[in-house]
Amino acid sequence: MSTPQQHTEHQRRWSQPKNAWGIVMRREIFAKLTDKAFLSGTILTLALIIGATALGIFAGNRGTRATIAVTTDQAAAVVRTTDQMQKATSDKNSFTVEQVASEEAARKAVSEGDADAWLRQQDGAWTLVFNKKSTPEVTSAISQAVQTQLMGELGAKAGMKPEQLTRAGTVQTELVDGGTDKALLTMIATFAFSILFFMSSLTFGMQIAGSVVEEKSSRIVEIISAAIPVRQLLAGKVIGNTLMALGQMALFAIAGLVGLSFTPYKDMLPAVGAAVVWFLVYFIAGFLALACVWAVAGALASRQEDLQSTTTPLTMILTLVYMAGFFASGTLAKVLSFVPVISSVLMPARLVAGDASWWELVVGLLLNLAFAVVTVLIGERIYRRALLQTQGVISYRQALKLTD
Amino acid sequence: MLEVHGLTRRFGDRVAVDDVSFTVPTGTTVGFVGANGAGKTTTMRMIMGLLAPTAGEVLWNGRPATDADRRGFGYMPEERGLYPKQPILTQLVYLGELRGMPAADARSEATELLTALGLGERTKDKLEKLSLGNQQRVQIAASLMADPSMLVLDEPFSGLDPIAVDAMSAMLQQRTASGIPVLFSSHQLDLVDRLCDALVILSQGRVVAAGTREELIAMGTTRHRMVLDSDAGWLRDMRGITVDDVHGNAATFTLDAAGVENDLLAEAIRRGKVLEFAPLRPTLSEIYRKVTGQ
Repeated sequence: MSTPQQHTEHQRRWSQPKNAWGIVMRREIFAKLTDKAFLSGTILTLALIIGATALGIFAGNRGTRATIAVTTDQAAAVVRTTDQMQKATSDKNSFTVEQVASEEAARKAVSEGDADAWLRQQDGAWTLVFNKKSTPEVTSAISQAVQTQLMGELGAKAGMKPEQLTRAGTVQTELVDGGTDKALLTMIATFAFSILFFMSSLTFGMQIAGSVVEEKSSRIVEIISAAIPVRQLLAGKVIGNTLMALGQMALFAIAGLVGLSFTPYKDMLPAVGAAVVWFLVYFIAGFLALACVWAVAGALASRQEDLQSTTTPLTMILTLVYMAGFFASGTLAKVLSFVPVISSVLMPARLVAGDASWWELVVGLLLNLAFAVVTVLIGERIYRRALLQTQGVISYRQALKLTD
Repeated sequence: MLEVHGLTRRFGDRVAVDDVSFTVPTGTTVGFVGANGAGKTTTMRMIMGLLAPTAGEVLWNGRPATDADRRGFGYMPEERGLYPKQPILTQLVYLGELRGMPAADARSEATELLTALGLGERTKDKLEKLSLGNQQRVQIAASLMADPSMLVLDEPFSGLDPIAVDAMSAMLQQRTASGIPVLFSSHQLDLVDRLCDALVILSQGRVVAAGTREELIAMGTTRHRMVLDSDAGWLRDMRGITVDDVHGNAATFTLDAAGVENDLLAEAIRRGKVLEFAPLRPTLSEIYRKVTGQ
């Protein structure tokens, strides 16, 4: 035992870092990027998106192509009309006229495969003669053209100009086709938004909760919170995981959009692209709104096994959002599209559908952000107080009563 | 210098730490001793600012300790805390960075510390791959990272083999010599006795004894023993002492007041030969048992 000597005061060489949250954030991101399960999950999802897109491209490329044998000018005119009308739907469609000298030649052309069908005019009626099997797409395309032409002729007799007739014909087609496409696309986009939001929020929310409980159960949180303010630790975690979630989501979105540009829906790209950008913005707000609650769920647990019960309220909220994306419609969807977190799915979906105006987007976003501020403030408080409570699971009710 | 004044913490109705005061002077090692539940960990958590005191304060160099002061303290929590699934070097570098070191400095310091603790070959191993004793060494390295201004170590020696204890205590003494106060808790009295300049003994949330080893022993030394060449029975009639036991020519007794030694000795010499007269110095563990009532 030595007697205490006089010592000079020790001066530390280092002082508290200004950007402690940045150091925490880097660790969170690095931990995720070196997590094999995360990487393989991302690659798998990306592969699914690319696969689905490839299927779409394949379907889009097929189009309806047919060569129609004709013997009369009238029949040739019908085929040309068909070609025009079908090209308006997709430039993958084409109907080619194969002018032959006689009915014999026409029959031969069909049986030998030089033509897909023979459009025969007989006693004021039209017949499509196929070789062994009729093609419904060709039949319906030709029928449409015949009807349009007939209407045109009737119109001409009634004194209508050809332009008026064309417009009359094409307007109807565009309404029907365009309308169907849009509804389908809206549905697909809404489902995609729902699934992506659910999947990504769950993955990265669980990551936050897991990382919090890991630090709590290993007690390293005592060392960290002695070294830096708890707020910075929480901020680093939340920002790190939000960035990762956003990055992954953007990757999926880009893959999806690039894929879309190869499908027949590529005309919708600008509209869908804008909706996707809004979706990403809304996603950040929606994710942030729950991020601190995920951290609280982690702080309320003492071991990884406790997470299942402490994260239940969150998984329930996410399931609700998911269901809303699939089932809400009409006025309900409109109202829900302003509710924080749910708006992350429904508002971008309404944008794709074309029934959300810019101010609605802004209001929805502001509500979402305001809600996020509230959860961040409350979440930070509970997180800080629950972190050092290591005896079992704490309930949300108990957590609100905790003191420093 | 760290001073703790009247530190008190209640958890509901239970008083975990009750009016605890002591000092850890610059350049000294103070051992914090007490049974489980005596309040050591709670006191240390309050010193580190992890727990708010119900009453009392922590002073650093004469003024109330700020968060910034505390962020310079190296801390080793009671239940070990590091990431099980991360390489040990990586996590030490992370902790160094959180305490203000540039990454490169943190890396070289962590490597140096791990090498000094005999883990130089295993810097890339995950913590969970290490034996418990080695994990403990990494934990110690974590508290020593980034040039701490004070060390607060909760049971740093539990689970260490004697060689590791030696390596660890050498490191601690080196730190103390460089001028930083060290407070560590332990229930291994022999270690505390060997390493500490002073002790603070805690029992049921209260400080029951504090001081250097000599002070504590002097405080606990109340009995003397005398051996004569003839029967010692006459001591029973001697004023100023209370005899505990007489056994032939030997007796043990307590001095009722300082200064009676001379009268006693003079009387004994007058009666014959004095073979032995000495204070009965208690061991630390005797003092510990006495003050904690165990």
